[in-house]
Amino acid sequence: MSQQLAIIVLVDVGNALDSRTLEDNTYLFDNMKLQGSEGEGTGDLVTAINGSYWSDGSQASEQVLNWLPYSLGSIPPTVPRGYEADRARQSDLEALADLSALANRPPEGADMGSQLHEIHRSVGARVKSTGHGQGRPGGKILDVTGSVVTSDNAAAHSYPAPVITDIYGEAVDEKIIYPAEYGSPDLVTDGWYWSATVDTSKPGTYGYTMRIQLHSLVRKGEELLWDPVNLTCQSRLRITREPKRNAFTKAGMGMLPLP
Amino acid sequence: MKDKVNIVVVVDVIGALSDDTLLNGNLCLIDDGSDQSTGQGTPELCTAVEPGQTVQWSALAVDLQTPVEIKSITFLGDETNKPAGRESGDTNGGRPQRGGHPRSHDRQAGEQRENGHARSGQHERSHESESLELDVWAGVVPPVMRPGVPYRYRLEVQMYEGSHSTLHIDSPALIRQ
Repeated sequence: MSQQLAIIVLVDVGNALDSRTLEDNTYLFDNMKLQGSEGEGTGDLVTAINGSYWSDGSQASEQVLNWLPYSLGSIPPTVPRGYEADRARQSDLEALADLSALANRPPEGADMGSQLHEIHRSVGARVKSTGHGQGRPGGKILDVTGSVVTSDNAAAHSYPAPVITDIYGEAVDEKIIYPAEYGSPDLVTDGWYWSATVDTSKPGTYGYTMRIQLHSLVRKGEELLWDPVNLTCQSRLRITREPKRNAFTKAGMGMLPLP
Repeated sequence: MKDKVNIVVVVDVIGALSDDTLLNGNLCLIDDGSDQSTGQGTPELCTAVEPGQTVQWSALAVDLQTPVEIKSITFLGDETNKPAGRESGDTNGGRPQRGGHPRSHDRQAGEQRENGHARSGQHERSHESESLELDVWAGVVPPVMRPGVPYRYRLEVQMYEGSHSTLHIDSPALIRQ
């Protein structure tokens, strides 16, 4: 079918980081179940790709695959791209307002130290940028509800979305798919996605491997850092092909069946 | 005269399934034939053709990831080629209807679907959809076609699968210049 196919790569990020493997922590879906895909919702998806060819043997239509990584335990990908920055800025503004109120009208007999500590908590914890051009940039840590998280309760934090960094393996080596990463203004996928055209002229089942980067929150001294963790998971494509046929005659070209 | 006339069936699948109709802008037909064609961009496309020309229909979904295929194209009888149709679905100038399986084997398939048999196996459903995408709806205009008479046809489209997945219209036509 000459349509764009979507493969959802849903990662249980927390458990994958704990066990340091994507096995049993990845769930794959595609939109070709009715066309013969198997293993929907498991880590063992076989994506059905039905190719077709003209009577002279040439390929009738190309297929396009799109891989979309999602995560369990993250802020939904449908919120605007600047959401995290907006929430972080809002917490800064609230803290400044509290500070201003405290400076102008300090409550009588109040413990200034504890008041300041409370304001400091409401600012939240900030992750230091690694500054090496790798991993995620710095920023505040949020939980899944968008609230800032303090360094002493960082266990409730939201995980950054998984990132596909490469697609390789048999299907690529055999020149069945030609994957590449593309940029787009699509906010849902954060502007980047992996896509591939498929050569449906070579039937068979071909495996491929996705390299997926997760981020683990680690503490180094007084600092919090996003530590990139590279893991891999595998999937397969099953390519079949059949000839096109004339729908009126179920054979070759003929006259239109006018009454 | 062109050797070939292409007719593209553009379907807003989400709109059609939500509205339960191919009208309301959910389907439009466009051809690349001569200037004599009328109703471009509407479900009432009347395509001007000449004997010997090849006419080919193809479906195009507005939403790239929603499959839509032509399930059948059936030329209607002489009576229905008149402007006022006799079939109940034609009283509104080709009002789209669910189902509608003019060909006997299609009717049988429709009855099976209504009885729920088509849901019995994954293989049966997948086979049906696979075969639809392989269909090329093309044919040669025969010399017996009478000039100036619109030959209306029933166009049935299938959007994904299931008991409510097919809709049809009877309003488009071919006409010999």
